[in-house]
Amino acid sequence: MYVRWWLLLIPPFVISFTLVAASQFVFLESSFFKDLGLGRIGDEFVLDNYVQFVTDSFFLRALWVTIKTSGLAALFTLILGFPVAYMIARMRSQWAMILLAGIVISTFITIVIKVYGLIVIFSANGMFNQALLGSGLASRPFSIFGNTSGVVIGLMHFTLGFGVLLLYSIVQTIPKSLEDAAQIHGAKRWRVYYRVIFPLALPGITAMLLMVFNMCMGAFTSAALLGGGRVFTLPVLIQRTVMMDIKYSLGATIAAVLLVSVIAINILSIFLVRRMRAAHLVMV
Amino acid sequence: MKKNKAMTFGILVAAATIGLTTANLNTAMAGQFDGVTLRVATWGGSWKENMEELIVPKFEAEGGKIEFVTGSPQANFAKLVAARGNAPFDVMEILDAQVADMMELGYLRELDFGLIPNTSNIADFQKSENMVGSWDSQEVICYHVDKFEELGIPRPTTYKDLVRPELAGKISFPDINSGGGLANFGGVVHAAGGDETNVQPGLDLINDMQILKFWSRGGETLAQFQSGDIIASVGNAGWCLRTKKAGVNVTSVHPVIKEGVVGVAKVGWLGVMKSSEVPEAAHWFINEYLSEEFQVLFATKSGLVPINKKAIETIKEDPIAAEMLVLDAEEIAKEQRIDYSKVTISDWTDQWNRSVAQ
Repeated sequence: MYVRWWLLLIPPFVISFTLVAASQFVFLESSFFKDLGLGRIGDEFVLDNYVQFVTDSFFLRALWVTIKTSGLAALFTLILGFPVAYMIARMRSQWAMILLAGIVISTFITIVIKVYGLIVIFSANGMFNQALLGSGLASRPFSIFGNTSGVVIGLMHFTLGFGVLLLYSIVQTIPKSLEDAAQIHGAKRWRVYYRVIFPLALPGITAMLLMVFNMCMGAFTSAALLGGGRVFTLPVLIQRTVMMDIKYSLGATIAAVLLVSVIAINILSIFLVRRMRAAHLVMV
Repeated sequence: MKKNKAMTFGILVAAATIGLTTANLNTAMAGQFDGVTLRVATWGGSWKENMEELIVPKFEAEGGKIEFVTGSPQANFAKLVAARGNAPFDVMEILDAQVADMMELGYLRELDFGLIPNTSNIADFQKSENMVGSWDSQEVICYHVDKFEELGIPRPTTYKDLVRPELAGKISFPDINSGGGLANFGGVVHAAGGDETNVQPGLDLINDMQILKFWSRGGETLAQFQSGDIIASVGNAGWCLRTKKAGVNVTSVHPVIKEGVVGVAKVGWLGVMKSSEVPEAAHWFINEYLSEEFQVLFATKSGLVPINKKAIETIKEDPIAAEMLVLDAEEIAKEQRIDYSKVTISDWTDQWNRSVAQ
């Protein structure tokens, strides 16, 4: 007898859909009505908020800052996370599991605590600046407040543990024997990375980059705490517009643009990677 | 024998009667707010702790319970608007900048001043049909005395004195969305020659200051003074006082705005929500807030200027409060007050965002 197990998926799907999609729909629907301030919206269907967004350099710049900081954070997460993930994946001692457990635990720490840790480390009297000034590499302390560099560091700190876990699972799927074979045939270590590991890991790396990028695009805390009221990413702008200015429909519009941008960038990235692979630009 | 029995019976009846009467009296006295939960929208941190120290125990002694909905008045106002007036609180702290919006939306209940006897100790202009004043705050320049001496920088007297290369990246300023944001921004605007309808001179001056961070919570300034990130900050004298009490050698300057105008004032208000089901308890809370005891505590611990006239006299004896705050009525009258009836807050915010954004 054929058992329709998939029927069991219907209740969780309905609940999830109601909680996520329906509530989003109600919020986003208001983006198509004029914002009258103090939480009031007009009753005529208009595109004024979207026109305002796409014709106002302030909003476009906020979109660009969001994409730029998220992209850089994803890239640096890859650069810093890949060697760590690779080392752990290739370790044969029990330390591998201990290190992995440490990374998993670090992802449980709330982002506020993580950011305050960064603030302490990068404060004028903190460890980083003391070392920087003491070594003579800089004449004044580096600040992570109120600039995009600080926001990128904060975002990267937020996603690094998650990124390492993803990359670890990717590296584990690549047989060590392939690396050994390449080296036996005379390939130098960097060439093994470039011609064997990287091409094989590319689909996973793409997925990891997109996941981290998506997380950063929606991240509020790091940008709010480290942006110093000066770096306006879209999530920060949504909070200020909805919670402080009480402009619901404009806030909903910014949220809609953020959502559409994320979806578009994801589709475009996947399309580009497929084209590259089809053209053998990244494969051996 | 019969006489003894009758006497014993009489004593027992009398004792029982006294016992019952006392018990009834106790119940009536202790149970003024039996089972009542009062929800108060206010700031968190040390601000709330002051209430927990003095007001909450008194309310609990009356049988009730106080729950705090913490957040800035702007955030709490947003909750109120989102709930279409069915506020998740009974009493709310309101800033002077919000008064017009509050009145426009009509979510506040008319106050019964008969239930707030402590209003007899506050000035008439701090009472209105729907709101009563709760505190005055003085917005100042707070600076690290030792660091300024180290760098050879003279004591600042105006905002323009903060425009110095030695101070670049070492100053914090309230974000326009913070509790003191509008008042301080308004103060800078006036000092730079602008007014409520022309804020550009103030924005230019703020950009010239090379500010490290626009803070959203006053506690950030204390932490940044301690960590050495900043050596000067614009904001509430209360945070300067708390920073000094935390061991950092700071002091406050009430900036000269223009001739005859020194310092910037901000006023707090309290209101009871129309949707409140416990208005008597809400009025009781406001009365306690305005008591001399609480106003003195608020001033010494949080650096607010009391509005209770008796408390102002008491606070003059506190050395740190006397150093940080202006307590003379004539001097207080010279402070810059922003005329919010001429301000379109969303326009101010919009211009601010565009000016400070990176």
